[in-house]
Amino acid sequence: MESLDTDVAIEAPEHIVFSYRVAGPGRRAIAYLIDLVLCYGSVCVFSVIVLFALGGAGAFSGAVEGLSGLGIGLILLALFAAQWIYFAAWEGVTGRTPGKSALRLRVVTTTGRPINFTDAVLRNTLRAADALPNAYVVGLACMALTRRFQRLGDLVAGTMVIIEAKTTAAMPLRLWPPATPDELMNVPEHVAFDADERAAIELFLRRRGALGPPREWELASTIAPAFEERFGFRTPNPVRTLALLYDAAVNAGRSEAPPSSRVPDSYRSPGEEPPA
Amino acid sequence: MISAVTESAFASRRQGDWSRLEQLAHRFSLKGYRGFTTPDIVLIAPLYRDVCADLAAAQAARYSAPLVEYLQNLAATTHTILYGVRAGEGRATRAEGGGSFAAALTAFPRAVRSHYRAMLLSAALFLFPFAVGSLVAFYNPDFAFRIVPEDTLRPLTEAYLKGFDGGRAAGEGATMAGFYVNNNVGIALRCFALGIFGGLGSAFYLFDNGLSIGAVLGYVASQGAGANILTFIVGHGSFELTAIVLAGGAGLSLGWSVVSPGTKTRAASLQATGKDVAVIAFGAAAMLLLAAAIEAFWSGSSIPSDVKRGVGGVLWALVLSYLVFVGRENKKAVRSWT
Repeated sequence: MESLDTDVAIEAPEHIVFSYRVAGPGRRAIAYLIDLVLCYGSVCVFSVIVLFALGGAGAFSGAVEGLSGLGIGLILLALFAAQWIYFAAWEGVTGRTPGKSALRLRVVTTTGRPINFTDAVLRNTLRAADALPNAYVVGLACMALTRRFQRLGDLVAGTMVIIEAKTTAAMPLRLWPPATPDELMNVPEHVAFDADERAAIELFLRRRGALGPPREWELASTIAPAFEERFGFRTPNPVRTLALLYDAAVNAGRSEAPPSSRVPDSYRSPGEEPPA
Repeated sequence: MISAVTESAFASRRQGDWSRLEQLAHRFSLKGYRGFTTPDIVLIAPLYRDVCADLAAAQAARYSAPLVEYLQNLAATTHTILYGVRAGEGRATRAEGGGSFAAALTAFPRAVRSHYRAMLLSAALFLFPFAVGSLVAFYNPDFAFRIVPEDTLRPLTEAYLKGFDGGRAAGEGATMAGFYVNNNVGIALRCFALGIFGGLGSAFYLFDNGLSIGAVLGYVASQGAGANILTFIVGHGSFELTAIVLAGGAGLSLGWSVVSPGTKTRAASLQATGKDVAVIAFGAAAMLLLAAAIEAFWSGSSIPSDVKRGVGGVLWALVLSYLVFVGRENKKAVRSWT
């Protein structure tokens, strides 16, 4: 699989290398706007509730001024929380804000691990620098200059924002309908594709259902003749030709049962004793 | 030649484990580590390692790209979950709470002392304009109007002239507490964050705040309310003014780590210093929360001036000795052992 330049490869302790897709400015801006609406929206709702509740209570006890003073104090605290605490608290606890989870984004360290509370507070305190002079211009410039789209806050905290992959299992392709005895007779035994050819045919076969028969036929007939010539195998239907060749390339010589269920070859050569 | 199973046989045999791991990952994304029961925790590590093995097998057997990609995503997602738990950060210690708070209490003054040069520079950047501002405004009151608008200064001065015998109106304290938190803590955090531009942002905030606070002080004193404003400031000033200097110093350190990274790359130096001075910035923010409470409910109250000054002096001594002495290693004891 070809890596895009927005991928960051991480090697796990299991010596497995996998890549994270780093989120660009567009996605992150949308997530940010969602968060702004959510958190300042809730500040508004909170303010209205506080003012009504305290105003109502004040009307009974006759201490309107004192209580509305308390109300304004609470609203100012809520504004402070919206600006400095909302993002840090969400990311510190869950690794993502509601806006980020709506866009399937997650903040991780540059080594692919979840961030801790210090990282979360640090990267969000540095928003003050990234937001300068207006509309996150500094942050955008910084993201453009770094490989992992990091703004200043990410650089200081050692974090990056990744797009979480959808985890849906891909079903292996199956030849349908199964090969007829006649086809089995004619399909060549050794079909070797290079990686590009194989990927192209596979993509085509996976998209078959979405294409419509005439378009399917048309696409297949542009590519099938080259393979028909190479492998000396031909059917009346180019789509079927590709499917059969692909099946032969992928499954020929492979068993349906896992190795462990097969009788293992004896590791004893004749005349040798088994290890005690 | 190694004989591999067909892709469909491979997938159907392993599918059960994959979907179990997928379920665990999904539960984590909803609830974090709290979503896991003990059997889940026992299960997730072997499942993850099996998926790593499956991924290696799928790549070696050249199975189709979507399958390899799926396994890779599953492994990456689980890797994020498994390798996130750091020692001492688990649920138990967080629930206990006490341990980490005590650790933070000593980590803060230690971090301050290890960056003492930046702190002294920050203090100078704050105190010099403060002294100049207050002296110039005291002898030449019109100077203060260039820095703080006259419309703000005059009512302020009248309030200080009146003194605080009347205390604050009911509810005013709460409003002011909210205002001080929103305004002062915000200034300190910004003062820290903008230090990343080579320390210039912090220097600007320190200079600006020093000059305006000094000018206000000098002007109010020149109008004959000097004793009143000092009585007002002394209580919360120990926390507030110190915290601004500390936040600025943390910002200066951050900026200096970019300007002069030493043997590290600039990014690595920034990151290391960032983790280091974060404690100072958060400590300063906590100090400002305290200062806001004191300023709103104590400094402006009708408590007698002598009490305010006495308590204020004690607070200054406490804050400074906390920063200088708490968390010091006992070097003599260490020496006697070596």
